[in-house]
Amino acid sequence: MPKLTIDGREVEVPQGTNLIEAARLAGVEIPYFCYHPYLSVVGQCRICMVEIEGQPRLAIACATPASDGMVVKSATSQRVREAREAVMEFLLANHPLDCPVCDQAGECLLQDHAMSEQRGSFASGMLEQRRTFPGLERRLLGRHVIQNQNRCIHCSRCIRFTQEISETWALTYKSRGNSAYIDTFDGKPLEDPFSACVADVCPVGALTVREFRFRKRAWKLRSTPSVCPGCSIGCNVWIDHHERIVYRFTPRENPEINATWLCDYGRFLAEGLNQQDVTHPQRKTEDGWQQLTWDQALRALALDLKAARSLRVVASGNMSNEELFLARELFTRVFKGELVVPVYAGEPRKMKNARRQWLYSASALPNSEGAKRLGLSLVDEEGLARFLYGAADLTLVLDPQAHPFLASAEAVQLLKVGPAVVVARLATPLVEAASWVLPVASLASGEGTFTSSTGAVQRFAPAVAPAGQARPLWQILVLLARACGVAELGKGTPETLFGQLAAREAAFAGLRWEELAGASENSYRERHHVG
Amino acid sequence: MESILLRARGVPNSRDIETYLAAGGWEGFKKALTMPREAVIQEVIDSELRGRGGAGFPTGRKWSFVPKDHPGPKYLICNADESEPGTFKDRELLEYDPQMVLEGIAIASYAIGANTAYIYIRGEFFRWAKILEEAIAQAKAKGFLGKDILNSGYHLEVWVHRGAGAYICGEETALIESLEGKRGFPRLKPPFPAVVGVFGKPTVVNNVETLACLPHILTRGAKWFASIGRPKNTGPKLFCVSGHVNRPGVYELPLGVSFREIIFEHAGGIPQGRKLKAFFPGGSSAPVLTAQEVDVLADFDSCAAAGTMLGSGAVIVMDETVNMVEVARNLAHFYAHESCGQCTPCREGSDWCLDILNRLTRGLGHPSDPDQLLRICRYASQGMTICPLGDAFSLPIGSLVKKFRQEFEEAIAHAKPLPPKKLPVMPWSGKDVRFGGV
Repeated sequence: MPKLTIDGREVEVPQGTNLIEAARLAGVEIPYFCYHPYLSVVGQCRICMVEIEGQPRLAIACATPASDGMVVKSATSQRVREAREAVMEFLLANHPLDCPVCDQAGECLLQDHAMSEQRGSFASGMLEQRRTFPGLERRLLGRHVIQNQNRCIHCSRCIRFTQEISETWALTYKSRGNSAYIDTFDGKPLEDPFSACVADVCPVGALTVREFRFRKRAWKLRSTPSVCPGCSIGCNVWIDHHERIVYRFTPRENPEINATWLCDYGRFLAEGLNQQDVTHPQRKTEDGWQQLTWDQALRALALDLKAARSLRVVASGNMSNEELFLARELFTRVFKGELVVPVYAGEPRKMKNARRQWLYSASALPNSEGAKRLGLSLVDEEGLARFLYGAADLTLVLDPQAHPFLASAEAVQLLKVGPAVVVARLATPLVEAASWVLPVASLASGEGTFTSSTGAVQRFAPAVAPAGQARPLWQILVLLARACGVAELGKGTPETLFGQLAAREAAFAGLRWEELAGASENSYRERHHVG
Repeated sequence: MESILLRARGVPNSRDIETYLAAGGWEGFKKALTMPREAVIQEVIDSELRGRGGAGFPTGRKWSFVPKDHPGPKYLICNADESEPGTFKDRELLEYDPQMVLEGIAIASYAIGANTAYIYIRGEFFRWAKILEEAIAQAKAKGFLGKDILNSGYHLEVWVHRGAGAYICGEETALIESLEGKRGFPRLKPPFPAVVGVFGKPTVVNNVETLACLPHILTRGAKWFASIGRPKNTGPKLFCVSGHVNRPGVYELPLGVSFREIIFEHAGGIPQGRKLKAFFPGGSSAPVLTAQEVDVLADFDSCAAAGTMLGSGAVIVMDETVNMVEVARNLAHFYAHESCGQCTPCREGSDWCLDILNRLTRGLGHPSDPDQLLRICRYASQGMTICPLGDAFSLPIGSLVKKFRQEFEEAIAHAKPLPPKKLPVMPWSGKDVRFGGV
């Protein structure tokens, strides 16, 4: 473990740590643009220059491993400050001054550095016209990525991403010198399952995500740690939201699962979270749908539940561990009903972790593994159909998105047979067939844990308040238990429920709610680190 | 002095292996095969041969950096990507004596334990690539290359690889990248090619002229070689003299002759009785020397002491009619075009220099321009860039500004006023205040 001094602060770092990371550990920030903790080191931007005692020339911190007894000076060295100022002058010589209309503003490394270290007092001796790339200012590079080559600082992060992480080798430099520009290798649109990540790694506004572009200024957004609901891999995300609207997912660092990447499919699920078709508890009557208050609905439902001699419940891999636990306790233990969790593989998804290993999805839903570990009976499409063909006094569908079969005409017919309660967010055919509909909030308002297919139990936090009368599912279940007079389940929060889970289930033994958080308060600093 | 490297120049049929053998060719390699590898390396260290490609690094020491216990494969690369402006010595060697280069390649490969050698030749040299292919075929037929050479159990295959015509691919790590089939971007160092080179294996990259010296060192001994030239700057050197001289061409002279001798004696002086103004001592990447500095000795250490470098030994001579602003612009044009675009100071700096100099030569100079040029040159050199191309453009341009500042200032004094930097505003009176009209 080498021990070194950076700007007067002593720090001991693991062998092989470079000076940028070592400085981070020491609490010193060394600026960088081309360096990325999960990509190879190229040393192109030259802003991370540091002075190392005993070396005549300045060294780049990203490519210099920390060694024992090193004395490094970053911002405390006049030479370093001058060199960095010169590099900034070079970078800004051709960088357009369009921050006010640039979508990256607020999360731009170049802007941050210009404003923080140089305090915005930057002056340039440049009298020339800026270099421009006519025709490449607003170009759709792929389906999700818009390129503005004028802003590019040639850090090659996007190129390295497609070479090292997504392995499509889709992007490359074309031309040479100051007229070099980023293009797809064959000139065709960027086809890459991780294409929006190239906009994430872009330190400036040269590559931006089409879907998010000009929707919201970055500094308005609040970030809440969450888990991607796209598949069973369980990539960590930030939900970026403002005034109860979810704007986007951005990857949250987790070396074990998604390093700092996110696939396009998962990323663009974010805006779907805003959709709330079902906003009130409703009951189907002779005259059509009748809106109820939660109080009325739950009380009536509790009566129905108690009256039902046979009860069947379709739970879902979209439900959190706490919700599955609640459903199991309430419906199978108390009401002696039958509960199944449909599972299906769906589209195969993959993700690369920090050790550059591919992880593959086992299921299309984020918590199928949790259902398995809770000992719930998992059914495939055939099993689900058979389950619904059976007769029951009351059917509960806790998530119409639990399986594609539930969207089929066959399922709708089956559900029409008897009284059915559907807990839903979106208007699906199943909702039309139900006799009761309860509005449930999206993942962005939920709270709880998912168990990924790798076995990691990961917590997600509520980001926005639910729309309309919708409630998160755990709350609905707790209120229902209370209405049914089940005291021990009638007053829970995800935290206490998880406590019960950890105490009673072997699969969750030893886990503590607080330790599952995995996200610090200052999300911007954390994200700044990985671009 | 006697012709050593250029002894075949003027000899009829000099490229043929028979001619080369008759002149005592391939004897050095035969001798090397009888010696242990360390002894060959020691011989080259003793000869104090320094790399002729530009940096002047001692060749024997470069070889000794190759890890001894590496299981291999190891590679030797002959750098024939001669692209430094003003340099045409390697072409001369390949033209007249390709066998000598091949023998040097064989000796160097044997010394570092490489069984594969690549000749990376610049794309424009298609004729010389052909010559090399023929030479390799002849040497193979005679058993100097290929499997089990001269029953020694040593194998060597030599391949010719044509570049695509980029200046930067003369830099050894960019050359390696290009040889691997990638874009010619210089690599970060360390690790140096001697440890991690082509295909991730230990690799030595030597210049054509360096390799051509090896057969002579082996046959005539390190002592003989070290006796040519000056201490630490030994051996014959090819000087490519171009520009305003009466007899431009390649001259073989011992290291340590003065530039006065090269320019005025060998190259026949300046034509039409004009006066010498300045010259680049080692290709366009070396800082310029003025007429007053013509007595500097042409060797690595003396040039370094004079604040310049011997580089590839390309002496570019300029007489008094030359406008130094135009020279700087010409250089900037070349380097801005050849900068690979990888790291910031060189990519932005070279183009910025060009913009300023273009403006200056168009008569639109600004009083701040010389200082701005010097500032760019300062921060694009001295380790601020990945490879030496940053230094290659900033040292000569910086030296031109420093040594001929008056010419820059004259160009600025005669400048037309620049268009105003302020944005055009709506005219507040009947006067037409158009952009550029002030």
